[in-house]
Amino acid sequence: MLASTVINHRQHVGLQKLSALAGITHSSLGPNKTYKFIQDETSGESALACSCFRVLENLELTCGVGQLVYETVQAHQKAYHTGSGCLLFLAGAWSRAALECLQRGVPVARIISAMSEGMDVCLDVCRKCSVSTEGLGVAQSESRTATSQGLGPHLSKTPTVEASRASDKTLTASGRRKIKLSRHFYETKSENVPQPPLPKLPDIAHISAGLSHGCVGAMTLVVEVSRIQSRSNPQDVSCSTFDVTKVVTCVLPGLPQEHACVLQGCIVLVSHEQASVAHHLKEQHLKVALINGDLSDTYRHLGFKRLKGVQCVSDRSHFSSSTKEEEWMEKTVTRLLNLEVNLIVVSGLASEKVIQRCCTHHILVVEKAKASVLKALAQATGAVPVTYATQLSTHCVGAGVKVAIWRDLSSHERKPSTTVNISTVESSGLVTVILVSRVHGKLQALEDQFWACAYRLHHTLTDKVLLPGAGVTEMLCVHHLHKQAEQKHHTVQQTRAGTAHNPYRGLVLHLMADGFIDYISTVLVNTGTVSKVRARTAVSQQLQDCTQSRGIAATFSQLFLADEQEDGAAAAAAQVYDNVSVKQEAWRKALDLVLLVLQTDAEVITGIDPKRDGPQEDVMLL
Amino acid sequence: MSRLVKKSPSLCTDLPLDNTVICNKLQLLRQLLKSCFGPTGRLKQVHNNIGGHVVTTSTSSVLLPAISSSQSFINLIKTSILNHVSRFSDCGLFAAILCLSLIEQAKQSGLSGSVAIGVNKHLLGLCTSYLQREDCGCKVKLDFCSSHNLITLASSIISSKPACVLTESEVLHISKLAVQAFLLTVPCNSPGDVSLGQTVSISVEGHPVLNSAVFPGLLVDTPDDLCLDKSENQHSNPLRLVLFSASLAGDLSELGDGKIDMHPGVDTDSQILDQLLELVKRVVKDEVKVFVCQKVIHPVVQQYLKRHGVIVIERLGITLMEPLTQLTGAQPVATLNTTIPAKAYGKVKDLSILQFGSKTMLHLQPPGESSICTMILCHRNETMLSELKVACQKTEHVLRLTLREPSALLGGGCTETHLAAYVRHKSMKEVTETVSALGCSRTEHLRGVDGFCRSLESVAAALEHDGGDSVMDLTHAHHWTRPADVMKEQEDSSGFCGCGLMESSPNQRWTYLNTNYQEFSPAPLSGGAAVQPRVLDSFTAKLNALQVAVETANLALDVRYLIQDMN
Repeated sequence: MLASTVINHRQHVGLQKLSALAGITHSSLGPNKTYKFIQDETSGESALACSCFRVLENLELTCGVGQLVYETVQAHQKAYHTGSGCLLFLAGAWSRAALECLQRGVPVARIISAMSEGMDVCLDVCRKCSVSTEGLGVAQSESRTATSQGLGPHLSKTPTVEASRASDKTLTASGRRKIKLSRHFYETKSENVPQPPLPKLPDIAHISAGLSHGCVGAMTLVVEVSRIQSRSNPQDVSCSTFDVTKVVTCVLPGLPQEHACVLQGCIVLVSHEQASVAHHLKEQHLKVALINGDLSDTYRHLGFKRLKGVQCVSDRSHFSSSTKEEEWMEKTVTRLLNLEVNLIVVSGLASEKVIQRCCTHHILVVEKAKASVLKALAQATGAVPVTYATQLSTHCVGAGVKVAIWRDLSSHERKPSTTVNISTVESSGLVTVILVSRVHGKLQALEDQFWACAYRLHHTLTDKVLLPGAGVTEMLCVHHLHKQAEQKHHTVQQTRAGTAHNPYRGLVLHLMADGFIDYISTVLVNTGTVSKVRARTAVSQQLQDCTQSRGIAATFSQLFLADEQEDGAAAAAAQVYDNVSVKQEAWRKALDLVLLVLQTDAEVITGIDPKRDGPQEDVMLL
Repeated sequence: MSRLVKKSPSLCTDLPLDNTVICNKLQLLRQLLKSCFGPTGRLKQVHNNIGGHVVTTSTSSVLLPAISSSQSFINLIKTSILNHVSRFSDCGLFAAILCLSLIEQAKQSGLSGSVAIGVNKHLLGLCTSYLQREDCGCKVKLDFCSSHNLITLASSIISSKPACVLTESEVLHISKLAVQAFLLTVPCNSPGDVSLGQTVSISVEGHPVLNSAVFPGLLVDTPDDLCLDKSENQHSNPLRLVLFSASLAGDLSELGDGKIDMHPGVDTDSQILDQLLELVKRVVKDEVKVFVCQKVIHPVVQQYLKRHGVIVIERLGITLMEPLTQLTGAQPVATLNTTIPAKAYGKVKDLSILQFGSKTMLHLQPPGESSICTMILCHRNETMLSELKVACQKTEHVLRLTLREPSALLGGGCTETHLAAYVRHKSMKEVTETVSALGCSRTEHLRGVDGFCRSLESVAAALEHDGGDSVMDLTHAHHWTRPADVMKEQEDSSGFCGCGLMESSPNQRWTYLNTNYQEFSPAPLSGGAAVQPRVLDSFTAKLNALQVAVETANLALDVRYLIQDMN
């Protein structure tokens, strides 16, 4: 059975839904995050959510648009771990822009072409106003003057000028090479060819302060991670290592938040018995085996199909599976003892019996290890992860692991309560971040915030460029969109029928810019004490100044700073940065979402039974 | 004891097409499909009522399978359109809209079923014979010396899928790739029977469309810990490859269901594993360097192979089996029991690792000339990517159809309007013979012709979705659209016709589609080769779609009773 809803053209229901859904992100923008309770009326359960992604995750979205939004945000979150709020907010703002266009009678095709053009303008702005991370913060004193004059155009110039100069040099070098073909001349001259200067490494402490976006605590932990990783990286001299794949979080409820810390190695929770084994093993160099999968006799690798309907035919009825297990256990333990393994790290589960048996032989079994931990341990110790314990042989076993009891968190509960630190002699770069809170419900938000910060730094280091944050980039986009909107379309009419003169271009670009203005003023409102009205006036004032060719950045970021707590941190927080790739991707995804929904005029719902579900409004049955 | 339920009697509907409920449903289906048509068509969100995955699409091959109805007419039309699409890939919506229009027009004309059917059949004959004529005014010969028309054909298909959300340059890029992939699958210099190769497409989400690319050879997913020892590869170039279609997971999954009695002392798992290791040892002895399995390989076996320097690829999947056998010449080994004959081994020339976004892939290059290629499609999100993948598959198929019949039809609705004008003119000229042959009156014939032509024109008019006007010029009968927002003074500069062959001129005369006009003979364009059409449709697919539409409509019109079993 099929039903379809035909959406009224001028009042596009899909866009309205998108705009309404985006409403939930309003409070999660900006540096001051607020929590939201999501309550299930039928079951009485509730969830505490802080980020846009977690809110969506806890909502039951059954409509088509809701599903599409959730899928988009989920994909973004999975890839970037940050920026979902920005994505959804702009999707909402631009869906309102599209609605406005429809109400004014703009054809869909015109909206699409103008909005896509607007996006190109914005992405171009991003490219132009991005700041290279090279030596950022180091050259802080020099660039100060530049910032006060206007961040946008000026900062973009410095790196490009330098780049062109560098290419000049290489040009002359190769030119010289061409002329001096004779090897006699070439040899001596080549020494004079200037070596390309070593790239200045980014100053992580400075950058991360600008990337904390209000999560100062989480960012401090990230910087600490980087410090530890840099220290263990022999090639690193200037504290600029950050490998997000080698970071693990460990969440411990019940401790005050000040106890959050970063430790080298991997922290795992173990039971009392295992703790005593760990105690026995401390200050030794251990041999380690890595198991990919479960450590039990019944475990089979992925894709293995068990035989169904097997009957045992036996004359001795006491032959039961337990002996098989016993046999397997005996074999496994003997093998482990022969190989002198003291530590087994298992990615899956280990059966209780195995753990106990290993304990009696002073072998520590650690379960539920993350793939990244296994990989890091394999790299640092030379161990080869195997699927079955029977596969273990001398070359699979790694050496040089240390185990230490980090902290005893004994409680009256039976849960594993001792934390053990597994580290390697030769540093693996593996770092554990301990996240703690007395309030259990806050833990997930803390973890999310930490990862958001970690990935912001990670993206910065891979992008090697940053955007001026605190709304400056958005302001520049508004400015450029306005400028483009005023500009008449290229006088040379493109001949292709589809790209002919678009009479609504100006209108659409203006409405798109309004979306950004909405974004900036919402962030402003969330930042502090400003009311929505004041925020809007401030933004429009700023825009006016901008058109009168005064720098946006300086005065605008002052606006934000005025509202921050005056604890002397103003100087450090003077620069707020955003990630280029994250922002561009969020914008693009937001627009894609709007364009998809805008072009959709009907939902085809399968599986509706008119007898069971009863007649529904605006559903037509085929 | 079973309960007896009284059987309810069957329901019989007389003249089902006169039933308003049925007509409304057909009308709804027409609206639904019409709104999807063409490059500015609207999209549909397909999902189930409990909030499952949402598919956003306007493609008939994705949309129609989701439609299920209790109404047998809808199922009849759906089935015949899907059958057409599965054979020709393109023009599914064209066929569906035309078919539904024909039914509606026939009902509106008030003609008796048999007369309408007779006229439709006759006119279909006129159309097909005209389309196959050398001097057909809406046909273009495809020239394989230049890729221009092929790219146009490809881009017409790709740009007709708005759910891909592509810019013009992206459409061009993908079209070029599609043509490139197509050309790679045509073998160059193999004598005798020529069989076309295959394009394998891989989707990569989250990357810009312009990163999409085509590679000769095959790309297969690999675990990220694979490292190639380059120096060793150079030694025995090309590398020997073995391909298993049987599972090497070490289980007995192929035994099937049923009870098995087993002695508790028997350890089947280790026995099978021993057998597998025996097999693998022989393979290693035969100096195989690449070991591929369609299904799972037991970890112990993998470990053994890797330690002997063999590259292991497991879980290849059924779809890649055929291309891999073509590429390497290997014969898939389906059993673990016999020794592998030497001729079952295949060869790979070179291996390299390719990183594409989050995907690590192994690039297998053929030892000689091969017609296998891999197309990597990138798009920003899953919804658009899946639509793009469908569009590219259709394009590949349509391009292949051109090998059989190297022609294309003018797109953008021009073929439809041209055909309609031709049919009107031709049937007027031959009215006396036709009337006597069909055994109907002149007025009946006129109404039948009018209904047929209006149906064709309404398909052309369905391309416009933003309230613009669809018009036709009265010389060549090409299709033009005027956006609703164009000012009066700009009217004479409405640019080009639907297919892009004609440019508007001030002294042109127009008629709105679906209005009466004096019939005329549409003149073929005499313009030189300087002007190339900008939109082309597949000739083979459209011709078949036309036939399917008319025949399905005729079948529907022929239904006298509808008998439903109510149990």
